[in-house]
Amino acid sequence: MFNKRTLAIIKRELKMKLFSKSFILMTLLVPLFMIGIFSVQYFVQSLSGEQRSDLIVISDSDEILNKVQNEIFQTGPFKSGDLTTRFEKIELANFKSKLNEFKPDILEQRITGVIFIPSTLLQSKGVEYYSSNPNNSSLFYKIKPSINKALVEIYFAGKLLTEEEIKFARKDVEINGFRVSSDEKVAEEGYGNRIAMVLFSFLLYMALIFSGSMTMNAVVEEKSNKIVEVLLSSASSTELMAGKILGTVIVEVIQMAIWLSPIVLLISTSWFLIPAEFMPQMSFGFILYFLFNYAIALITYVALYATVGAIFDNPQDAQSGVWPLLMLIMIPFFIALGMEANAQSSLAQIASLFPFSSLIVMPARMILVEVPLWQILLSCAINIVVLLGIFKLAGKIYRIGILLTGKKPKWSEVFGWLKMSA
Amino acid sequence: MNVLEVKNLTKRFNGITAVDKASFSVTEGSVFGLIGRNGAGKTTTIRMMLNIYFPDEGEVLFKGSKIEQDFKDTVGYLPEERGLYKKMKVIDMLLFLAELKGKKGSDVNKSALQYLERFDLADRKNSKVEDLSKGNQQKIQFISTVLHDPDFLIFDEPFSGLDPINTNLLKEIILEMKSKGKVVIFSTHLMEFAEKMCDSIAMIDKGKIILNGKLSEIKEKYASKNVSLNYQGNISFLNSHPMIESIEDYGNTTGIKLKNENSDQELLKLLMANNISIKKFNVDEISLHEIFVLLAGKEAANV
Repeated sequence: MFNKRTLAIIKRELKMKLFSKSFILMTLLVPLFMIGIFSVQYFVQSLSGEQRSDLIVISDSDEILNKVQNEIFQTGPFKSGDLTTRFEKIELANFKSKLNEFKPDILEQRITGVIFIPSTLLQSKGVEYYSSNPNNSSLFYKIKPSINKALVEIYFAGKLLTEEEIKFARKDVEINGFRVSSDEKVAEEGYGNRIAMVLFSFLLYMALIFSGSMTMNAVVEEKSNKIVEVLLSSASSTELMAGKILGTVIVEVIQMAIWLSPIVLLISTSWFLIPAEFMPQMSFGFILYFLFNYAIALITYVALYATVGAIFDNPQDAQSGVWPLLMLIMIPFFIALGMEANAQSSLAQIASLFPFSSLIVMPARMILVEVPLWQILLSCAINIVVLLGIFKLAGKIYRIGILLTGKKPKWSEVFGWLKMSA
Repeated sequence: MNVLEVKNLTKRFNGITAVDKASFSVTEGSVFGLIGRNGAGKTTTIRMMLNIYFPDEGEVLFKGSKIEQDFKDTVGYLPEERGLYKKMKVIDMLLFLAELKGKKGSDVNKSALQYLERFDLADRKNSKVEDLSKGNQQKIQFISTVLHDPDFLIFDEPFSGLDPINTNLLKEIILEMKSKGKVVIFSTHLMEFAEKMCDSIAMIDKGKIILNGKLSEIKEKYASKNVSLNYQGNISFLNSHPMIESIEDYGNTTGIKLKNENSDQELLKLLMANNISIKKFNVDEISLHEIFVLLAGKEAANV
């Protein structure tokens, strides 16, 4: 499979791609694009906090209303005018009819919502919120501490506690994460690794889809402009496919190494001043693993994309044939993102060993937690076995598909090709 | 001596037999024509000869052993549907295709430039293929077929889609290769080309080889007792004449098969006596087209 012809094809791919405008452009644009996406997200998040809220606080107790009012008046959003509140005292039995009065205002968003703090629920700190958008976490973030403080004070009033004791009771639990790893160093965990996880997963996801569809289009083009028959009179279809895929993999790994070079500098030098909480804890070895894993993922997915390209003879049909592959990349990507909550869940563990998904999930998981070495090796072994299998199947479909033109083949026909002698 | 032997080649696609037990052989230094209608199985046969398709049954032997990569390296192939990498530079394209055949270095480079010179394309060597006219792209394709100095040339419907200049150019290449002792194999549905250029032929119809051998021998065999006639008038009186075996209308000529070898002069007299105006009267002469119609049936007359 690897011989002078494969080499000639690899050389052509490198020559055409590595020095092309689109390679240089992509190498520069993707980091900018990533920065763009993260800043848009940050911007959207900060915008949502700035929105004006008009609240009505209702209770059957003057004490509650007064205390809550005192606390809210001291908050930043109230002082800056982002939050306005009205306080109304109502008997519990009349609350429903009162709420109905407010309904049109709520629906037309003249008021953001109604907060109902009945004195009967003081002990359980149960507070009800009525709004057209009842899951407004940025609003809760602003008012929850004030309400909590007021309720705590009312509850402990007259219980002869010192100010310090009340302060303690009022305080929420704070959990600081410390990463325990085998190198005996217990380091306090910041946001750095979580950001890095999202960044790396996203990079992997994008690069795979992008290089996959590029290769697919190149194969469709070779097929539709008929060069492929000339090539096949010199090289076998396996050599052709291997050369094409390996050429792509070399180019893409070089590109990924360029993208990762700032991160390598970040973790190995002190050239960049980054707040400790955003500093990812990452070893150089991980970067190498990441590139290795990327190469395997590329071969696997690019082979599949090339096969889809070989089945169809125009880009439109090929696009429609590509969705199963997209699923194979997207599902692991979302599993990886979901691991932010818990990277040791059984789903995360299985997905980081399972064929295809481990290519994306394992690196993400390794950023978040220390994965036992045997799991890493096992996932690599599984991926390499799957890759060899894919290469064989893909080669067969490629061989037959590449010369068929005309009618769009059915999937059942494609499976039939696997049984044919070629 | 036979350099290439095709034995019982069979290929099926989705239950349809495209090539059915095709056997023929190609002798050294000859021009060989694979002749048949569109869809008869010519391209599939050629692809099996090049190991692009694996046959379901049968084999192709090159100097007595099954074809392998070393055979591919000695072949220059011009497929019916021609194609090049559009974004590549002309010279890079040529050198890449030669490298796939295992030829690289300054010799190939020099030879590529010579060919470009000969085809008036030397000044375009650094142009992208897509910037060339269609005719010039065809020339690049011809060069790529012969650049690695192959021993075999396989052309699939070489004259389809060529302008008259390139048609002549390609004929020139074929004759030049023949004079160098190379084997030229081409498929075509154009009988007159095959008739003019081939030493041997195989005729394929509906996947089956219906005729194969040296063109001169085939013609000799089918021409005896045959009169090829061009005329004006009504010859229906011949239909029931005792000396006539059969009459076939091939469109522009009529083939008359006689029962007796020596009755051609008698036929001529008979035609004169019936006031038929004779434009052509050829004894023991038959065209490849006539043979094809004879074998493949009337529906083949429009080929």
